[in-house]
Amino acid sequence: MLIVPTGIGAAIGGYAGDALPVARAIAQVADTLITHPNVLNGAHLYWPLTNTYYVEGYGLDQVAAGRWGLRPVHQNRVGLVLDQAIEPELKLRHLQAADAARATLGLDLTDYVVTDAGLGVELQTASSGAAWGTIQNPDSLLRAVERLIIHGQADAIAVVARFPDNLGGKALQQYRQGQGVDPLAGAEAVISHLVVRTFQLPCAHAPALSPLPLDSTLSPRSAAEELGYTFLPSVLAGLSQAPQFVTQAPAQASDLWAEQIDAVVIPATACGGGAVMSLSQTGARIIAVADNKTTMQVSADALGMNALRVNSYLEAIGVLVTHRAGISSAALHPTLPSLNRGNAI
Amino acid sequence: MSIHFIAAEIDLKASTGELLQEIEAALQRRGEPLRWAVVSVDKLRRKVLIEAVVTVTE
Repeated sequence: MLIVPTGIGAAIGGYAGDALPVARAIAQVADTLITHPNVLNGAHLYWPLTNTYYVEGYGLDQVAAGRWGLRPVHQNRVGLVLDQAIEPELKLRHLQAADAARATLGLDLTDYVVTDAGLGVELQTASSGAAWGTIQNPDSLLRAVERLIIHGQADAIAVVARFPDNLGGKALQQYRQGQGVDPLAGAEAVISHLVVRTFQLPCAHAPALSPLPLDSTLSPRSAAEELGYTFLPSVLAGLSQAPQFVTQAPAQASDLWAEQIDAVVIPATACGGGAVMSLSQTGARIIAVADNKTTMQVSADALGMNALRVNSYLEAIGVLVTHRAGISSAALHPTLPSLNRGNAI
Repeated sequence: MSIHFIAAEIDLKASTGELLQEIEAALQRRGEPLRWAVVSVDKLRRKVLIEAVVTVTE
């Protein structure tokens, strides 16, 4: 499992799908990689990975806690929810993106539903520095999703909510420079978590925003979000093959449960999430990556969890390779102390 | 339904499993948790600070 918590300014993965190269590399050495939309979505950019499960964060926490399992699918029928607050031209851009995904990628989409009220997205920053946010009309969102499930037979949900264009000059400028915290991330997580918690279906969110003026100094880490008018294509592609959640028996042989997760890779300063804490109880190896700095200061050690601290994702991938090969990573270090001759266990 | 941000300080427990249970119980008292994380650990006072988003059904 690869986790880069959203909205905490992760140096790698805190911007426009910029942990996707890490996911691609880990997918080469793992039997199955489980990771979340924030890692895999680069607005118009994404990369199909046949052994990678696209699992929304609330579902990820439930899987790690052993409450839900993951069931692979060949294809999901994706339902699209559009916030009533999206202006007509911007709405048309999103519908054209959805049609493009149908025609060019062959994805199966239901007819879309517009929420019966504006969702009222509000963005906030917590005292820790993490982004969070809320929507004023969560019931309207849930009614729209219910219509897609009942009348459209949707089995995965893409939500497009109108986010405020005025994100605060400094925060937006920093984000475009590949610095600071993604101001949208916390509210995005709230939207998709609410849908997944209520309906136990794959869900992901794309914000609707007015295009930004061209910036010649744009960071490569943020650039994927300035290629077009919507962030929707990667969301639709990810959802189209996202595993379904298994919340009760009967289980199938192909289902994946927490006890099958061998390792979780996480930024070393962001070990305070539910998924990592749950997996620390299962025997999964926690690999904490030091150079993916975040605004948090919560190490595995501070919470009493055993973790292997590595400097970089390159080193983390090496640990995964040795684990898969049945090699103790200690044997690859230049010094290997003798077994203690004095005190057998 | 309404969505609320909350911050809560909880005693650091001897094991991660106990801490996890304590966090989930504390959040349930405030609503239905959507998202949470430990955002700081004060080892001297043996406290952890949680930030969370919960829903409350009126």
